[in-house]
Amino acid sequence: MTTFLQIVAIVAVIAGTFFSLVGVVGYVRLPDVYTRLHATGKVGVFGGVLLLAAAVSGTSLSIGKGLVLIALLLIIGPVTSHAIASAAYRVGIPMVGQRNDLQRDGALAGQRLAGEQGQVQDG
Amino acid sequence: MHYLVVILPLWLLYLLLTGNGEVSNLIVGLVLAVGAAALLRPLPRPIIWRRVPGALLAAVQYVGVLLWDLARSGIQVTRIVLSPKLSIEPGVVAIPSGCASELATALSAHAITVTPGEMVVEIDADGVMYTHCLRVDAAAEYVARAQTMRRDLLQRIFV
Amino acid sequence: MEAILTAVLYGSLLLHIGMIAVTMWRVWRGENVIDRLIGADLLSTFTLAILVLIALISQQSIYIDVALGLVALGFVGTIALSKYLADEQMF
Repeated sequence: MTTFLQIVAIVAVIAGTFFSLVGVVGYVRLPDVYTRLHATGKVGVFGGVLLLAAAVSGTSLSIGKGLVLIALLLIIGPVTSHAIASAAYRVGIPMVGQRNDLQRDGALAGQRLAGEQGQVQDG
Repeated sequence: MHYLVVILPLWLLYLLLTGNGEVSNLIVGLVLAVGAAALLRPLPRPIIWRRVPGALLAAVQYVGVLLWDLARSGIQVTRIVLSPKLSIEPGVVAIPSGCASELATALSAHAITVTPGEMVVEIDADGVMYTHCLRVDAAAEYVARAQTMRRDLLQRIFV
Repeated sequence: MEAILTAVLYGSLLLHIGMIAVTMWRVWRGENVIDRLIGADLLSTFTLAILVLIALISQQSIYIDVALGLVALGFVGTIALSKYLADEQMF
């Protein structure tokens, strides 16, 4: 049983490190901020969770804390990438790609920022 | 009765973090959870006990579908990033969430963002989620189809 | 089996240190401010991973507690910074 759990831990560590590596390669290679967020979101969700799964299964370390940390990572990973993407859109970072429904539907935050700048110019 | 919805998860969280099953620790955790719930004052929400087993079943199914999506699109994004040609065509797609409550909309936005390859950039007042995809044409209809299934599950969870 | 696990853990630790070096280089030479923010968030995630690896190598669960606090603080920091950049005010 211990041997089986140790094999699970080895596989989890290797897979987690591989996904982290893929995330960094994506962070270096991909063309713009929004596509890079896809790659770096994967480091937290896959890399961290798989390493913690190894820590929970392979050893007799605190199982409860590991499970809480896994749940926390799964919750806060998307929240962080959504916050950064929203900030990037509001700051006005350009986006690669043809189809953009956000611009077609009248950019929500972009309009608001433009309005604020107009007010500053009026004042 | 709606205080129970806050007290039980907080108590469970305390017990998981301390990792200690003695009676004194259980009592301290319960006191802390009740105190936190009294400070939080959750809004009254009627619990329909007849629907609870169905909602739990739907929640398990939701988590299962989420994990399957996670593994599937993780491998897909790995293939995209590691391929030498880097064949991406990013873009933004508007996907209506179709959920009545704001909590259900937030949960569907979370489920879309946690899968690699799709990410919600903005949500407008009507609950339309503007989703950034790595491959627009392939992802657009898949995400819309997954969203209808997710909406049905969420409606069963939140009664 | 024990030896293989230890070897894998040390190799993973080395790879993580290398990835931290690459990420810091990208933060240093970032294209714009959001790019650097993504890199800083990535650095906090890698610190979590290294703490978990150290906990696995030294078999002490105190490092998992440190990782828990670090994740919470890094999350709040990233959210606050991105909100500051988007709205040009904190609250």
